[in-house]
Amino acid sequence: MTARAERIRASDQRPALWRRVLGSEHLAGWAFVTPAVVLIAVFFLIPIGWALLLSFQANNLLAPGHYIGLANYRALAKDPQFRSAIGHTIVYTVVFVPVSIIGALGLAVALDRRIRGISFYRLAVFVPLVTSTVATGIVFLWLLDPTFGVVNYLLHLVGLPQQKFLQDPNQAIYCIVAMTVWGWLGFDVIVFLAALQSIPQDLLEASEIDGAGKWATFRSVVFPLLGPATLFLVVWSTINALQLFDEIYVTTRGGPLGSTTVIVYYLYEQAFQFFNAGYGAAIAYVLFAAILVVTLLQLWIGRRRVYYVS
Amino acid sequence: MKRVCLLIIMSALLVAGCGGSSHSSSGGGSTSGSSAGGHVNITIWHGYTDQEATAIKALAKEFNATHSNVTVTPQFYGNSDYALQKVLAAIAGGKPPDISYLYGSWAANIATNPSTVELGPYIEKDPSWNWNDFWQAARNVGTVNGKIIGVPALIDNLALVWNKKLFAQAGIPAPTANWTWTDFENAAIKLTNPAKKQFGWAYVNDASEDTVWRYWAMLWQAGGSILTPDGKQAAFDSPAGLKAMTLLQTLAGHNSIYLDDGSDTYLGVFTSGHIGMLWTGPWDLSQITAGNQPYGVQILPADQNHQTISGPDNWVVFNNGAARVKAAIEFLKWFTSPAIDLKWAMMTGDLPIRASVMNQPGYQQFVKKYPGIGVWVQNLKNATQSRPVTTTYPKISTVVGQAVQSVLLGKAQPQQALSSAAQQVNGILSAPS
Repeated sequence: MTARAERIRASDQRPALWRRVLGSEHLAGWAFVTPAVVLIAVFFLIPIGWALLLSFQANNLLAPGHYIGLANYRALAKDPQFRSAIGHTIVYTVVFVPVSIIGALGLAVALDRRIRGISFYRLAVFVPLVTSTVATGIVFLWLLDPTFGVVNYLLHLVGLPQQKFLQDPNQAIYCIVAMTVWGWLGFDVIVFLAALQSIPQDLLEASEIDGAGKWATFRSVVFPLLGPATLFLVVWSTINALQLFDEIYVTTRGGPLGSTTVIVYYLYEQAFQFFNAGYGAAIAYVLFAAILVVTLLQLWIGRRRVYYVS
Repeated sequence: MKRVCLLIIMSALLVAGCGGSSHSSSGGGSTSGSSAGGHVNITIWHGYTDQEATAIKALAKEFNATHSNVTVTPQFYGNSDYALQKVLAAIAGGKPPDISYLYGSWAANIATNPSTVELGPYIEKDPSWNWNDFWQAARNVGTVNGKIIGVPALIDNLALVWNKKLFAQAGIPAPTANWTWTDFENAAIKLTNPAKKQFGWAYVNDASEDTVWRYWAMLWQAGGSILTPDGKQAAFDSPAGLKAMTLLQTLAGHNSIYLDDGSDTYLGVFTSGHIGMLWTGPWDLSQITAGNQPYGVQILPADQNHQTISGPDNWVVFNNGAARVKAAIEFLKWFTSPAIDLKWAMMTGDLPIRASVMNQPGYQQFVKKYPGIGVWVQNLKNATQSRPVTTTYPKISTVVGQAVQSVLLGKAQPQQALSSAAQQVNGILSAPS
């Protein structure tokens, strides 16, 4: 009896609270992540919360603001410029996402083989991704310059009419699509390449034995297995496209005639050029809600359509 | 045990970190700059690079050597375009700079900040400021609703820069100070040659303020004004406004205008001999001189008059306690005094900020050192009007920028663009702020 009773008594005499708290595994874990948590809180969570408060204020960030309830959101609903910014963003997203994903898939398939100099080609596709947006923007401004640009020179050589590109309100947004596809393609290609290379070889052999040709194999075996990668890229590219800003800022600055004023650029204009920080914060929250809805919708459709290898 | 030690160290660090930051923000900088001996340290924020950076350091050193009670430290804040955000963050953090270089277009908004020092009482008390000696346009930009919140830091204006070689080739006589819009229009069309990719003129067509202010100069030349005298309504939708817009339409229709996308490519195109005339300011002078085109500088052509436009910037003082405000104002007075301003101009090529600098003994050397600069200095007399100093000006500018752009791109008729812009501006002006 004694041994057992003693053991029970020992467990009753628990160490003092401070010792328990300081000695617990949880606390040590939290302590280790504290620096990261503090950083995330200071630079992420607090600004997110503050932006929400800001969106209920009339605030120019200069003088103390005051609360105006939902007035910013109500004004947004009636703002024709915000509506056209949404329109430009949708046009951009609807073109950018399919073009970049289909283009990347094609390139990834082309790069997924053993030929001489393959590392060079892969590098060439990846380099634009690590090139700074400002440099990309300046290069494209020069390439697409209506008078002295290389592209118009090439068009002239083959006898095609000269274009205004970024200076034409009807073409500018598509030039931005071209520029961003060029800049972001490398990322999509890498994801597809990784997915292609993780397809089990025996599945491909099996389909070959079953007499499937190259196209049939791709359509019925390879493409379904790329489902998770494709879903990820669709979601990720859409989020990025809806938040387009840098490329606009360094090239067209929303013009010509507002034709490339996308949502985030409009937000920037409102908050930092017109000093309507509260209004800008409201735009940010509307965009956040829209992205949340679109992403959930994509994931919901994806869950029904995408085939996951266990 | 090790774990406990680590925890204690970490929490100590955290506490120290928090303590440090709360201390500095609650300190508010109100006393930290001045010590018991009456000596005051102040900081001045600027975005100067190259010669200007060297110049501000040299002049701050000179000031510190001659003023035993104040020490000025210039601090570089990066590109001036983004200075406002940084100054705002510093104000929110309780440690604003004592003086900051800030764009004139921000003045009305900065005036709403409680930390901004109203300078009028100091300047009025002290006749040695000789306030009216500063150029009119520069004084206007630092004055918000009658209150002075900025000391002029920079003044410039637009003048006509022309390529002598292209003028000679086209057989056009040199532009004179009596040139009219008709002379200008004819010259621009004559200088245009699409086969040689040659343009008569250049216009910054990004719908930014760079697009707008050139239009304001034309509007004023034609006798128009931006707003009604009470500032409550748009006044640019007038015969003068239409005339200015029509000139743009005519020249754009002849493909006589090189449309710059806002990245200032016009400079390279001009210095490679593809543009006949520019309307530009002294900030482009060093690059124009470096190019190998022979150039001349002349005041702008006239419709009713030869008015130009100026884009002045301000030194703004922020409140860090009475002692530091006093020191900051003392420094600015010294820094903008005629003798020191001439030194600054010699070192940087900036235009003199005061009229009396032209009477300083060394002024002729300045004009010789920077060929063509004399025209811009003389042209300051033609900068009699200013853009409205209001919090809504950035919005007005955006609307008018789009109107000008729509005409330049041939997407709208001048009258149509003006009517629609005026309607939008009236909406902006009548909205409750």
